[in-house]
Amino acid sequence: MSLRNPSYTNPKPCKHLEDYKLRHGLSGYKSIQRHLKATPHGRTSVEMLNTGVPRCNSCNGFQGRLYLCLICNSVSCLDHTLLHTQSEDGHDLAVDIERAELYCCVCCDQVYDPDFDKVVMSKHNMGVPRDDKHGDESIGERLVKRRRLGLGVAEELVDLKKSKQLVSMRDRRDKSCYPLGLRGLNNLGSTCFMNSVLQALLHAPPFRNYFLSEGHNHEACRRRSGDRLCLSCDIDVVFSAVFSGDRAPYSPAHFLYSWWQHSANLASYEQQDAHEFFISVLDGIHEKEDKSRNRNRDSGDCQCIAHRVFSGLLRSDVTCMTCGSTSTTYDPCVDISVDLDTSNFSPTDTVNKRSKPNENSSISTLLGCLDLFTRQEKLGSEQKLFCETCQEMRDSVKQMSIRRLPLVLCLHIKRFEHSAVRKTWRKIDRYLQFPFSLDMTPYLSSSIVRNRFGNRIFSVEGDESDINTDFEIFAVVTHSGTLESGHYVTYLRLRNRWYKCDDAWITEVDEEIVRASQCYMMFYVQKMLYQKADEDLSSLPLSPRRDAYLPIASCCERLFK
Amino acid sequence: MRPSVNRPPTPDVQENQEKEPTLQETINIKLIESGEKERLMELLRERLVECGWKDEMKAICRAFIKKKGRNNVTVDDLVHVITPKGRASVPDSIKAELLQRIRKFLVSAAL
Repeated sequence: MSLRNPSYTNPKPCKHLEDYKLRHGLSGYKSIQRHLKATPHGRTSVEMLNTGVPRCNSCNGFQGRLYLCLICNSVSCLDHTLLHTQSEDGHDLAVDIERAELYCCVCCDQVYDPDFDKVVMSKHNMGVPRDDKHGDESIGERLVKRRRLGLGVAEELVDLKKSKQLVSMRDRRDKSCYPLGLRGLNNLGSTCFMNSVLQALLHAPPFRNYFLSEGHNHEACRRRSGDRLCLSCDIDVVFSAVFSGDRAPYSPAHFLYSWWQHSANLASYEQQDAHEFFISVLDGIHEKEDKSRNRNRDSGDCQCIAHRVFSGLLRSDVTCMTCGSTSTTYDPCVDISVDLDTSNFSPTDTVNKRSKPNENSSISTLLGCLDLFTRQEKLGSEQKLFCETCQEMRDSVKQMSIRRLPLVLCLHIKRFEHSAVRKTWRKIDRYLQFPFSLDMTPYLSSSIVRNRFGNRIFSVEGDESDINTDFEIFAVVTHSGTLESGHYVTYLRLRNRWYKCDDAWITEVDEEIVRASQCYMMFYVQKMLYQKADEDLSSLPLSPRRDAYLPIASCCERLFK
Repeated sequence: MRPSVNRPPTPDVQENQEKEPTLQETINIKLIESGEKERLMELLRERLVECGWKDEMKAICRAFIKKKGRNNVTVDDLVHVITPKGRASVPDSIKAELLQRIRKFLVSAAL
């Protein structure tokens, strides 16, 4: 059963439960099965068909917890369960009527039996996969920032001045001891959206290792496919240029041209959305690699580098509010777009705000956003869905969770919001706190589904104990400015130092600056890979500023205090 | 006289317990039959999670288990320990909201 997961090992049954099962087998469970009633929200209760409201057979009380004897079907309240087993020999086990949980009347304790839970879980028809329906629903949400070119240049000039000041202030540090691969990218006219994402991609450990180990050799590829444009080739060229050791800013002009060919609808001198660019680049790589790899897609997952690194699987459970049956859908994703958790200042919800220990409730946190993402969401009355059990359109509850984590987790904060009332888009400038180390366990399907069904012993598919859920941040793409015009800057974390990549200028910054920035996209990598990436580069000369070094764990402690 | 409630007879009830249901019982039966009780309980659960009450109870349980040793605690012990604390620490706003809902239900059910 769930033996693979050590945290959910089955508790040893008490001797009364063992006795009961020896004598009666599963017949008691089976007989109770048809009285079980699944409610939405994942709870189960026992429905007393013949008697209406259940009452204690001894005192006729109806309040508190009531237990149904598994042998004689008599009902006792908590005070009389002991009396019942004393008067009727062997009637030790009962079922909590409201919760459908096993109870041993002699031990006065809850007991657990996988066979019982299997009977209960069979009431919730789970895991019926449906075809992908929510394919690209976020396209409308991804917003392209548009503006005229002239203003864009003016903006860049201002930025340029600012950055120059920064450079002159901080340039005392010797740049030659910066880690290899840190090279500025020239702005080719409102292309900071591209530069910011490229910097993140260039330093995503598994992605970088693939290209640096000649995973995609652009010379071989050109020879094979003639002069056809290939996005992967151009990325390979950028990689060689950036890791060449040359520190002078590089102009990824050919890459930009290649990307324009690939996504003609985005080819313009306008400012674009960094997130949209990210998706479109991964698409471009996927298309090319998919063709060259003779499609071994039959084996399930796409083997292209973009999807091997960034692709995860989302699970969405839609539960009918009337009959409680659930249908499950799996959707692949290359990133997770989360809403900014603004619930604690919306006027209607001030009383019921989510307050957690160690959390200042007036600050939005990334964990809060992820909680919001995986929360059960009631679908509005205009969004009724067809329930296959009821054969009718019904109100439903939807819950998202992460079925499989990617190697590199890209989290995108929906800072651009559409107001239905004013029919306009606006940007939310709210500050979002994010941790440098992230544990994704609570957002996995196994945890979410387990929480929904309370303390049942059953195996959730894909319940693997060996998956890595610890992530370390390595890049933050920030956005400053307004919806129409703004500037993207990337902060990169290499060997526990932070570097600000503002187009052509690379400077080392303190982590406080990163924490205070207005994050838009965050890139986390599995901790194992982050540590390995650290070791890979440790042969390079260390910068003299060792005092800036802080163990990650202590940073995070400070963050949560 | 209170209006009698239409419910099927309980099978083996002893004679001395066969009496007029109290007002509380009547309301309880109505709440269950209409499904309102389930909705109320779901609302209550949601509110208690939102306000941190559930986390608080969890912390008390953890502390108790730690004190007694994990093999010497039964669910009943836990229920006894947290019931008084739990009852006392439900925020007044939540109580008021539920009371309001029950009132509304009673008004609509009486019609």
